[in-house]
Amino acid sequence: MIELKNVTKKYNNFKAVDDISFKIEEGEIVGFLGPNGAGKSTTMSMITGYIEPTKGKIIVNGYDIDQKAKQAKRQIGYMPENVPLYTELTVKEFISYMADLKLVKRKDKKSEIERVLNQTGLNEVKSKLIRNLSRGYRQRVSLAGALVGNPPILILDEPTVGLDPKQVTEIRNLIKSLKEKHTILISSHILSEINQMCNKIIIINKGKIVKVDKTENIESETLSSNSDKKELLITVEEETTTLSDITKKLKPIKSVTLVNQKDKERQYSISYEGDENVKKELLKLCIDKDINVVEVKKKEISLEDAFLKIIDEDTTSNKEKGGKK
Amino acid sequence: MFAVLKKELKSYFYTPIGYIFISLFLIAMSFVFYNFTFTQGQLHFEYVIWDSTVVLTFLIPVITMRMFSEEKKSGTDQLLITSPKSIFSIVIGKFLAATVVTIVSCLLMFIYYGILSKFGHVSIVEPLVAMLGFLLLSMAFISFGMFASALTEHQVIAAIIPIAFFLMLSFLNLQNGIFKLFSLTEMYQKFPLGIISLKEVVGYLSFIFLFVFLTIIILQRRKSIK
Repeated sequence: MIELKNVTKKYNNFKAVDDISFKIEEGEIVGFLGPNGAGKSTTMSMITGYIEPTKGKIIVNGYDIDQKAKQAKRQIGYMPENVPLYTELTVKEFISYMADLKLVKRKDKKSEIERVLNQTGLNEVKSKLIRNLSRGYRQRVSLAGALVGNPPILILDEPTVGLDPKQVTEIRNLIKSLKEKHTILISSHILSEINQMCNKIIIINKGKIVKVDKTENIESETLSSNSDKKELLITVEEETTTLSDITKKLKPIKSVTLVNQKDKERQYSISYEGDENVKKELLKLCIDKDINVVEVKKKEISLEDAFLKIIDEDTTSNKEKGGKK
Repeated sequence: MFAVLKKELKSYFYTPIGYIFISLFLIAMSFVFYNFTFTQGQLHFEYVIWDSTVVLTFLIPVITMRMFSEEKKSGTDQLLITSPKSIFSIVIGKFLAATVVTIVSCLLMFIYYGILSKFGHVSIVEPLVAMLGFLLLSMAFISFGMFASALTEHQVIAAIIPIAFFLMLSFLNLQNGIFKLFSLTEMYQKFPLGIISLKEVVGYLSFIFLFVFLTIIILQRRKSIK
């Protein structure tokens, strides 16, 4: 559906996107992940034909965006970053304009606008000026603009940024409901979002692709590579003896750090290697020494950690390469 | 093209800009009219139109300054450029929308003609030809204003560039020799006499084509350097 071949975008000497290639198949929901300034928006702008790559080829549903721009652009519904809208128009007028721009046939236009208004839940505000709408509604209007004309591919650039939690859930559900009919590429720097919605993740950092994999693979991979170092989160109420006094007696424990403190309760993060019995022994000692244990849990490695780890590894390996030069 | 034209017209008349342009134009025009007919007692409406062209220098930027700079600033140009519409049809659509606004003000000018003809016989041919020239001159100014607007995302700059340029063109009028050929206002002189000369019409049209073309080039170029 979307294919990038060795795409590079240079601004003067700075490479915003550096020789990236990837493929998105039909029906996939792909999360495009990376820290701010990694090149997500630049890549999306190139796929949608807003800017031209310095080098490389982009094929959208069989059409080259450079050679057959018109056909390629018809395949895409694009929701740009920061939801740009014509605020002097009403919701309906805006969608009607987008339908015109996307060459929706005159006879289908009315029903198409109705369909999109219903799908995005904008029917009750359709004759309001966009200027007077809240951020959440504006986001919907922008999404409606992308949906009109029913393009097979949707490209959504940070669709939930700047929304309150309730609105975020609403937009997410809206996007989830689009899964069946469209191939979707969503960019975000929020991992939980991608985790919920996508079945494939592309991680990009400093203009380079760091990883392309299924969501669950990325999580499990980081888990396994972390197998020799584990962490416990333990919350205790300390009286006379402190937790660090005890942990010295247990060999597998490598470090103890205070994470949180509230009244008498203290939460420590304990990292240890290998031995699974550590938890048991630690609890036993706590009881012996009269330390009141409130909570013990294994620290779970989330996609968040996986992401940070991958980015981190990438940055350090780059530095090493640079050093060798 | 028509989609863009329609939307641009909506934007002109949903916001105060269209009304500001037309009312400022009519105020200036009334002033010229008063001066000509009441103070000097003349019945030549074509010269009223001629003198009114002076205000175009300051008024055309009012409608052209936002054309592309506002889109760039608010990011809505992303919606335009990523749509299957060609840059050519977007530019032409916007150009025609601004032209329609000036046509509306041209038509309103004829109210004064109506007043004048109440009091005596006023020839219609010369005013109509003068009006054609007025329109051509406006379109030439619009094409340059549009070009300036494509250059920058700051509306103020997009207004200052054409004002400076138009003023410069008026001064070319005072020069002799080759410069005079490039003066848009110099080209206007024959129209109020009721003469449509090919040289002047072609002169205006080439100016319009040049800057419409340059606007397209600028927008096209921006895709690769942005």
